[in-house]
Formats: sequence, structure tokens, C-alpha cells
Amino acid sequence: MRRTTGELIIFWALPGVAIIWIAAFFLFPGFLPPMSPQWSAQKVAAFYVNHTSRVRYSMILFNWFCVALIPILMLIVERMRGMAHRTPILRYCVIGVAGAAPIAFLTATIFWLLAAFRPDRPPALTQLYNDLAWITFSCGVPFLVALCLFLAVAIYLDEQARPVFARWVGHFNLLIAIALVPAGFAGLTLTGPFAWNGFLSFWVKNVAIALWLVVMALVLGETIGRDRLAEQASA
Amino acid sequence: MKRPALLDDPKRELWLAWYATIGFYSLYTVVFFIITRTQPPGKPWYSPNQVVGWFAGRHEDLLIGFALIFILGGLSATSIALITYSIRRMTVSRAFAYSYLILYAVSAVPGFLFICVAMTVGAFRPDRNPEILRWIYDLGFLSFSGTMGVFLIGSLIWMLAILLDKNRVFPVWFGYLNLCNGLTEVVVAPSWIFHAGVFAWNGVIAWWINVAVFGLYTGAFILLLRNMILREDFGTGPMPDLPPEEGRGHMLAEFMAP
Repeated sequence: MRRTTGELIIFWALPGVAIIWIAAFFLFPGFLPPMSPQWSAQKVAAFYVNHTSRVRYSMILFNWFCVALIPILMLIVERMRGMAHRTPILRYCVIGVAGAAPIAFLTATIFWLLAAFRPDRPPALTQLYNDLAWITFSCGVPFLVALCLFLAVAIYLDEQARPVFARWVGHFNLLIAIALVPAGFAGLTLTGPFAWNGFLSFWVKNVAIALWLVVMALVLGETIGRDRLAEQASA
Repeated sequence: MKRPALLDDPKRELWLAWYATIGFYSLYTVVFFIITRTQPPGKPWYSPNQVVGWFAGRHEDLLIGFALIFILGGLSATSIALITYSIRRMTVSRAFAYSYLILYAVSAVPGFLFICVAMTVGAFRPDRNPEILRWIYDLGFLSFSGTMGVFLIGSLIWMLAILLDKNRVFPVWFGYLNLCNGLTEVVVAPSWIFHAGVFAWNGVIAWWINVAVFGLYTGAFILLLRNMILREDFGTGPMPDLPPEEGRGHMLAEFMAP
């Protein structure tokens, strides 16, 4: 069996995983529209009383499948072997953030699930779990920002006649890194575009992540296909 | 536009990672010691109302400082990558390099992200019940100083690799300095038990001595990584000595030399 056959299985699992991610996003009642940080503790507690099941089911799905990002990132790491680099440093950098990026989100799902575990507790405690979940989810971007920066640098330094990823993919990663930056400031305000439910911290950040997944899946699929042809030619 | 000389340097990836390491540790020092003043840490014996006062005294500073970490904290991976590379250059199994990489990569969430989240959540609603605010305060400081094993085992792995190595990538004395760093993770364990005294999270042993050792250790490995890059010949045998000053040809790193 060819090396790329196993990689194609992982790659084609991505659309299935993406459907689960999208379903969980719509299932969680606090995303559309995103819950406001201005809600009182009573209103937050009432939210978890009224939507206990949907919070649980959506966050169990995310808890299961958010780490499915890791095998996808490892497919990218394997492609990086073909880059015209002198050292494996940038691959190590990507591996270094590949685990922490989804684990930060997994931590947020744990806080959401805890909030829904005993919704009849004193409201101030449910509000605490809700804050921990939202701040971890919104501000927990450092590993994603670094991932995009490392990939951009890796692509720019891949100077050869047929680079692994086209140069625009480097520009694209830089752009996504910039789009993720405002979310880091979500703790500073309860209103406006930087708040955790705001235009920049919620919409721009999450659309950027979704766009990154789609674009990187497309270029990754193309590159794996090219590697597979090369494998067949040399067989 | 003129092509920067660094781009034609065969060691460009190593230098980029090294400068990012300098950038990350500078940011880390500025955020923890100057902006947020979470180092030296708050007192573990504070009453809930004193914790409210502690948060009130640095409200904006906590939020802005940790926002900077939320954005740039992932650059910590550059030093981990360089150290992993250093171990790969040694005459030891790759298992050492990969162990170090995984240990330090997973340490980022409990050892680093948790304090940023906790302090941000604490400052986010200053009017919270003081008891709850102290719960957050404890989470922040104890997750930060009390995430121990990954650094303990990581330091021991690096130490063992250096002591076994025949390629002279790192000096033997630094191998033993790893042991000192590992020991700081041992003596910090009582901070999970004591609320005051030398073993408390702000105490002479659990904080002052540990921070001195960690500072010395970090400063030493940043300089030794720089020397490693200067000495690197991309071979697999023993690393050559540090080249003479004029032969190095890397101006910015030269400038930062001791």
C-alpha cells in the first residue's frame, strides 16, 4: 500500500468531521447569536437551565472532534518535509503548537459542560463557568496565530521551482493570523466589536478559522494528489 | 527591493527561530514582571477582600498584558523547536528529541494559558463575589507555579541527552544546570500545601530561588543555542568549536553577544 493511501483516508475524513463541527456549532444555543457578556448572572443561569441538553450534546460533539484537527495538521507537517528548508525547525514549530491549539478549545468545552452539569447551582457560579468557557474560547488563539505565522514563514522560505504550497498560501496564512488577533483582546470590554460576542472577536475570528480550514484543505488535497502521482511514477 | 542577506544564509531558519525566542522571552518578562505585575506573585494568604483589592490595583494591566500573551504566546514553540533540534544533533536516540518536544508543547495549556485565562476572567468582572474572585486567583497562581511534571521530566530528558552526547552540542555544565532547573519543579510542590512561609507560592524557596535559577537557566540556554547555531556545520559528527569572530558573518547576533 502506498504511503499516500493512509494520508488520503485522513484527508477524506475531514469533510465528515467538518459536518460534525458545523452541526455542533448550530446545535449550541449560545452561538447564534453569541451570548452577550453583559448578561446578568441570573440570565446566564436561566440560559443553562433552559438549554441544558443542547449545551451538553453540542459540547460533547466538540469535545470528541475538535482534536480531529491534529491529524490534519500532521498531513501539513508531512508536506513540509518537501519544502526547500535546510532544517526541520519549522516543522517542529508547527508540531509544537498543533496539540495546544485544539486543546485550548477542548478546555473551553469542559467549562461549558461544567456549567450545564448542575444548572441549579447559585447563578454566580454558573456565570463563572460561562466566563471561563467564553474567555478560553475567544482569547485562546495564541497557538492558532503562531500556527499561521509558522506556516507563512515556511512557505516563504520554500524557494524552489515547484514549491509545496504556492506563495499566496503564505500571504493567506498571514492574513488569517491578523484576523485572529482582535479576539485576544476580548477580555477588555463587555461591549462593541472586541467583546466576545462582537464583530471582530466572534465573527471575524470564527469565519477566519472556517476559511482557513477550507482553503488549507483544498491546497492540501492538491498537494497530496501531486505526491501520489509522483509515487506512482516512481513505483 | 534589495534581498536581505539573512535569506541567503543557510542557517536562516535557525536564526529566525532564535530571534523569535528572544522576542518571546522578552515579551514574557515584560508582561509578567512589568505590565501585569503577576511576578512576583500576589500573596497566597490574602483574604477574599484583599484579593478584590489586588485585582482592582491592576485591572487594565492584567487585561492588556495577558491579551499580548493571547496573541503572541504561541511563539514559545520556537525555543522548544530549537532545543528539539539541538537534541537531534546529539548522538542520542530521537526519542529524546521527540519527548522534549511533546512535553514542552503540552505544558503550554496548563502552565501558561490557564493563568492568562484566570487573571482575565478575574479582572473581567471586578464586582464578583470576593470568595469566587479568590478561587480564580488561586487557579491563576497555582496552575502557573504548580504545573511541574512536564518541566521536571523535560529538563531531565534534556540533561540526559547532553550528558550522553558525544557531539559536544552543549557543554556538560549545562547538563547539570538542567538538573537544577528540574529541582526547582520539585521544591515548588509544597506551594500546593502551604499558604505562607518559604514554601508558599511566593516564598523564598518556591518563588525567589526558583525564579533566579529559571532566569539563569533560560539566559544560559539562549546564549548556548546561539553558539550552537554559529557552530552548526550541518554534519552528523562532533560539532566544531565556535568560529573566530570575523568568520561568523551574522551581525545582529554578534551585536547581542556577551
